[in-house]
Amino acid sequence: MTVEAMLDGRPAARTQRRAGILVTPLVLAAVSAALLLYLRGQHLDEVERRSINQDVITQRFVEHIELVAVSTALVLAIAIPLGVVFTRPRMRWLAVPFLALANIGQAVPSVGVLVLLAVTVGIGFKMAVLALLLVSALPVLRNTMVGLQGVDRSLIEAGRGIGLTKTAVLFRVELPLAVPVILASVRVAVILNVGTATLAAFTNAGGLGDLINTGIVLNRTPILLTGSVLTAVLAMAADWLVGLVERYLHPRGI
Amino acid sequence: MRLLPIAAVTVAVTAMTAGCFSAGTNTSGTGAKAGSLAKSNSLKGVTVTVGSKEFTEQLVLCQITALALRSAGATVKEKCGLQGSNTTRAALTSGNIDMYWEYTGTAWINYLKHTTPIGDPAKQYQAVAQQDLSGNHVKWLAAAPANDTYAVGAKATAAQALGITDLSGYAKLAQSDPAKATMCVASEFAGRSDGWPGLQKAYGFKVPSGKVATLAEGAIYNAIAKRNPCTFGEVTTTDGRVKALGLTLIADDKSFFPVYNPALTVREQVYRDHPAVERIADPIAAALTNSVLQDLNGQVDIKGKEPVDVARAWLQSKAFIGS
Repeated sequence: MTVEAMLDGRPAARTQRRAGILVTPLVLAAVSAALLLYLRGQHLDEVERRSINQDVITQRFVEHIELVAVSTALVLAIAIPLGVVFTRPRMRWLAVPFLALANIGQAVPSVGVLVLLAVTVGIGFKMAVLALLLVSALPVLRNTMVGLQGVDRSLIEAGRGIGLTKTAVLFRVELPLAVPVILASVRVAVILNVGTATLAAFTNAGGLGDLINTGIVLNRTPILLTGSVLTAVLAMAADWLVGLVERYLHPRGI
Repeated sequence: MRLLPIAAVTVAVTAMTAGCFSAGTNTSGTGAKAGSLAKSNSLKGVTVTVGSKEFTEQLVLCQITALALRSAGATVKEKCGLQGSNTTRAALTSGNIDMYWEYTGTAWINYLKHTTPIGDPAKQYQAVAQQDLSGNHVKWLAAAPANDTYAVGAKATAAQALGITDLSGYAKLAQSDPAKATMCVASEFAGRSDGWPGLQKAYGFKVPSGKVATLAEGAIYNAIAKRNPCTFGEVTTTDGRVKALGLTLIADDKSFFPVYNPALTVREQVYRDHPAVERIADPIAAALTNSVLQDLNGQVDIKGKEPVDVARAWLQSKAFIGS
């Protein structure tokens, strides 16, 4: 254990770190409260009231969360295991086609991906989730591979040396050491998903993008602001949550 | 020594992205030779900005206007394809654009904030033109005979199978069996008082939100042709895809939808400074009937031609501009 790590165990530093976690949620709560006050203070006309009411906003918010949650869960379930597979000695050649597909998914503008899928697969929630999956798979897949490849070979040999099986080495040495890199990419993927999910509004998947789009075509700033601010708040909240997970999973002694 | 590659990359990136930082308007555009419109209507040395909304008909009208004005010698900046009626209108009133084609019904309900439209097209136009000029300094040039109104459309076979011929029948179906009356709308129609909310009020029905799909406007035509995810959808009467995809329009028996005659709306100052603009636009407006618009729109949406080419071909066919 380093000296810093020992010193960081001091109660004062620990409390400071714990308090630091609360900064983001407090800021987000303040921003949301400011938005609410602004909307209450505005005189909203008939058209604005159709979009700015509790039912609609809640429904759009929940739809957005669903889109992001499902697509992120799928990205984790698919990209991380694939990343593990592609770093195994005999499977490296498999990586090429999958990485190419993931590259295309991220390089093609999100709208393009959505349109391609809408034309071939159809529209709706499932298709939007698929589009989000393609867009955010690359960072997670790449980082999983990079993280695992970056593990010091001597540590893996040491693990084999003390009698661990290959699987045990994977789960007890390689993955824990790769966790910081993998989770960094998950944070990126989540924020990417929250932003891209705003496009789902064009294909009947709902979400906060619907508020943004309505605000643009009807030229009503309150609606546009509501959609944009809530999207930003959601992105930061999701990033903060993943940060919490990162703290919890961060291996001791590093 | 390390500075050289860095400098080279910086120069390369700046050179490649230089185009991104110039103004977003298309100044040069495509030129046009003088035709019948340019006779004794010179706009040499005049610079104007023409705008339009984002859908096909508006893009074609934008190009028609730009080419016609250029044939008279004007320098025309184009801001075609602005998103949404309200955005385009705001661009006009703020002076960002000098003119664009607007519809009488749209202005009456959305900008002049009336709740009931005037059924007679001529009276509706008079009322709009008078109020907009005195209240908002927007001059309405002559209106075209075309009526590009909202309508509820469905695949002809589907409407027949359900026995729906008019909106009163659709209203009954929506109340009794919403699953069969699924509807596709675009964001603007869903939010406008002369759109979906007003339609439901006028006919006394409400389709539950689970049965209403919100799509991009252009996607609705294919959606109802495929009956997925909806059987009925918001369409416009001058769209070329109505005929091409075998769609039928459900009759508006209570005449809820206003009359939407297109007319070129110009900022009052520009109108007074350049009376030639009106003399150029009037013959164009007189020639725009529903079938002409449907044909022009169809050439873009179905045959895949560019709006500027469709516009030029039409203007040349009427000898408005030279070939």
